[in-house]
Amino acid sequence: MKRYTKLVLLTISWLPVAMTTAELVNISKINGKSMRPTLNPSDKDTDWVILKLFRPAKNLQRNDIILFKSPFDPKILFCKRVKGLDKDLIRLEHENIRVPRGHIWVEGDNVHSVDSRTFGPISKGLILGKVKCIVWPPRRWGTDLNKWAGRDAMVNEDDKMHFIDSE
Amino acid sequence: MSLKLARSTFTTGLKCFCLLHEIHRNVYEFTETAGESMIPTLSPQNDYVHVYKNLPHILKNLKIGDCVVLMKPNDSDSRVCKRITGMPDDIILVDPSNENNPNATNEYIRVPKGHVWVTGDNLSMSLDSRSYNVVSMGLIVGKVIAANNLNDKKRWLGFRFIENNYLKEEN
Repeated sequence: MKRYTKLVLLTISWLPVAMTTAELVNISKINGKSMRPTLNPSDKDTDWVILKLFRPAKNLQRNDIILFKSPFDPKILFCKRVKGLDKDLIRLEHENIRVPRGHIWVEGDNVHSVDSRTFGPISKGLILGKVKCIVWPPRRWGTDLNKWAGRDAMVNEDDKMHFIDSE
Repeated sequence: MSLKLARSTFTTGLKCFCLLHEIHRNVYEFTETAGESMIPTLSPQNDYVHVYKNLPHILKNLKIGDCVVLMKPNDSDSRVCKRITGMPDDIILVDPSNENNPNATNEYIRVPKGHVWVTGDNLSMSLDSRSYNVVSMGLIVGKVIAANNLNDKKRWLGFRFIENNYLKEEN
């Protein structure tokens, strides 16, 4: 009996260490088809990915896949691709939008996806983590996450300058 | 023997560090504040706040008038302390004192779902929702429950609770 109590106490004492580790790196299941064909390529697939949760907003680059809180409900998490960093000009159907300071522009790889095209640029503070690679199922190991990186959303401003000059 | 001692020191240190980190992240934090935006609730210097950080609990019980710590929407590295003055679906008069905007007394906004309107208590010296618009609830980090001002000699360590000072207008 005494041995069991000791074992339980030992397990509990390691709990904070496990929680801290889970805050740095974690595994998560991807739901939905907004990142098709990169993640969950068909209805049968459910991908599990490794997330880097440590300092998620640092060294963010275009075409990184990130996990972030929905701006309309902090309990809902979204997984999308970064298509623009601050001050980038983003091409939309009817107009171009400049991403404000400290914000990013996110889009799903699938055209039918609820993302910045619906709710606008999101603050960097909402970012939770970055998707590193797929761990499950095994046949999806080593998938290149940047193979199909969505549409080309950025307006090339050098071209635009040239265009204005020629006018 | 010394190896065993070193090992147990290391594991105990690791466990204590992680426990403190978890408490700091999910339950309670004690930090210094600076800036004029929350006068008279918080003084501009030498004021220390006790922040409650259990997010699910805070977000469930969020009320107008609560003093919260949130990440600045346009700079996620810095955090600010403001008071909630508008909850989802409230209609807000943006900033009637703005002299640059001729339409200022007539500009209203409806706070969208999952967002809040925050302002500092010192409206003339505060950068808040009036300039950066509504803030998503996901940016809230914690709720200020109490503060210590070391310059205040009247109370012990200048301790006082930060209360919800929102008064509902009586009909």
